[in-house]
Amino acid sequence: MTDAIQKTEKKKSSLLQLDARTRTRNAAETRFKAYGMIAIAFGLLMLSILVFNIVTRGAGAYQQTFVALEVELLAGKLDEKGDRNLDDIKKVSTFGYTPLLSNALEAKVAELEIETDLKAKKMVGILSKSAAAQVRDYALNNPNQIGETVGFEFLASSRVDGYLKGRVSRDSIGNDKNISPAQLDLADALKAEGSLAKRFNMSFITGSDASDARPEAAGMGTSMIGSFFMMLVVLVLALPIGVAASIYLEEFAPKNWITDIIEVNISNLAAVPSIVFGILGLAVFINYMYLPNSAPLVGGLVLTLMTLPTIIISTRASLKAVPPSIRDAALGVGASKMQSVFHHVLPLAAPGILTGTIIGLAQALGETAPLLLIGMVGFIASNPPDSIATGLLSPNSAMPAQIYEWAKRADPAFYERAWGGIIILLVFLVTMNTVAVILRRRFERRW
Amino acid sequence: MNDKNIMESHMGTTAIKISARDVQVYYGDNHAIKDVSIDIEDKTVTAFIGPSGCGKSTFLRCLNRMNDTIDICNVTGSIRIDDEDIYDRRVDPVQLRAKVGMVFQKPNPFPKSIYDNVAYGPRIHGLAQNKADLDEIVERALRRGAIWNEVKDRLQSPGTGLSGGQQQRLCIARAVATEPEVLLMDEPCSALDPIATAQVEELIDELRQSFSVVIVTHSMQQAARVSQKTAFFHLGNMVEYGETGQIFTTPQDPRTESYITGRIG
Repeated sequence: MTDAIQKTEKKKSSLLQLDARTRTRNAAETRFKAYGMIAIAFGLLMLSILVFNIVTRGAGAYQQTFVALEVELLAGKLDEKGDRNLDDIKKVSTFGYTPLLSNALEAKVAELEIETDLKAKKMVGILSKSAAAQVRDYALNNPNQIGETVGFEFLASSRVDGYLKGRVSRDSIGNDKNISPAQLDLADALKAEGSLAKRFNMSFITGSDASDARPEAAGMGTSMIGSFFMMLVVLVLALPIGVAASIYLEEFAPKNWITDIIEVNISNLAAVPSIVFGILGLAVFINYMYLPNSAPLVGGLVLTLMTLPTIIISTRASLKAVPPSIRDAALGVGASKMQSVFHHVLPLAAPGILTGTIIGLAQALGETAPLLLIGMVGFIASNPPDSIATGLLSPNSAMPAQIYEWAKRADPAFYERAWGGIIILLVFLVTMNTVAVILRRRFERRW
Repeated sequence: MNDKNIMESHMGTTAIKISARDVQVYYGDNHAIKDVSIDIEDKTVTAFIGPSGCGKSTFLRCLNRMNDTIDICNVTGSIRIDDEDIYDRRVDPVQLRAKVGMVFQKPNPFPKSIYDNVAYGPRIHGLAQNKADLDEIVERALRRGAIWNEVKDRLQSPGTGLSGGQQQRLCIARAVATEPEVLLMDEPCSALDPIATAQVEELIDELRQSFSVVIVTHSMQQAARVSQKTAFFHLGNMVEYGETGQIFTTPQDPRTESYITGRIG
């Protein structure tokens, strides 16, 4: 009796006072929330470090040093016969144009009264090795201008460019055969006079890769076209095949052990390392089917194989998310299975399918490993293709492959371009993912 | 032989629309419907009542072969509509479902406009020659669904934006738009409030003029209100079938009596 009374007295507690159990529980909850916030803060920190690094290192690639020069296109050197026959002009190689450049520089130095003990031949070293080719292209396209003096903007050599960007200094070029302190002095003098300056470099976005000797001329443009054609192949093949396969598996196929095996294997395929698809592509598409090496068509086929499981999985998930009552409703008014799928289920699943496809494409866009094996990584400095067929079949690179290619070259000027390329790639990926999110938000239906 | 006799005995009052004999339904190993034989009359509301899991919905779904969509479901016996076996190999279930419309438990309008919801069936069955025809069919169906006055000014707004009761009447309108001969209703009021229920019940009574209506319901009051014939299902058997008044006042079977008086179920 007394026990019972004591017990009831113990149980009596005030709501205004937390008991020990509640206090521990609340403390555990607070701790858990804190862990979560720490994890998110850590993630955000890492992300901002990454973005900061990429932007600071890559931004340089979008700025390039240019030298403005008046070049006299000496008729005596370029067209000895004087009849402006294009075939004769073509016989003069870029070496024949170098004297024009040194003359132009000499004239500039004299005009600006810059004091330098450099010989004219050495002065040309501050210009990119592509400068002579630039003049030659101009002369071939405008043969009537030969004999005139024409204003050009040449790329400065990568060392001079690096000097302006702070990558190269007088101390660091001690053993560098490509540049001398006297040349840097000349560059300083030209800069002071305003004929040498840094400005935005469009050709990094539109141009093609350049050889080891002239990193200043290298650009992403052609590899972007390569990526574009690969994505075209992936979209044209993977979307219809993936959607058709998912619709069949989800809506029509009987549920038995065969479809179970197929389902398990599709999930497994999504986890197969991409290089495996690369070697498969090499064996099947190139060695067996004799499709051309390094062609975006082959790259696209390989990436299609890689993207298919992603598209199938996301399509099946969005088909599954369509409530069965919609299928019943359609069947109930006498629609056939196919009508119910194509008139009702598929339109409702479309946003999910599109999102999955875009994410699959974005994955494929950033994929490098399989391209290694089909020869799309390497020095591929092709011109922009002139038709869809050549775009698909002529050798090309892809954006991530181009970045990898630059990153592995020795010259630090290429290193900067690799970071710059990553910015372009990331802009593409972020854009695609944003489109996917917007599509999902916009067309998502709530039941 | 025996079947014929039963049919003839009913012929005197009303025509038999659906005649089921010895129907068995298996879900895998589960024997869900056992030996059900029933004659459903034309232009009559027939209610299926019984406790949950007694097989009344399963049997209803046999009548338009909706069970075909379930892989493990197996139906034997014979179900004849207008003396044609609907499980005959030559019967295309799609054609059957145009003839036997269905309204489901949860209102399930298509996420399209009210107009398109109703017009979908006539469109896929080619019932309209032109736009004017289709407009007329839609209006007639919505009027028969007793929802025309509420939606006539907003036919292009989405069907999913209507209230629950309106959605269900829209689904009924959608089902009658294809001019079925039989209308199956699977607990059409279970998701509706009492006012919407009353509207739908009133509608069912009107639909009786044109169709044979079969309704599955949990509510015995509802069965008593809307139906002329009632069948009581229990554990996969059809225990008793007869005039609604007789089932509710003088049930023959003790199980029916227990259910009606609330002792089981």
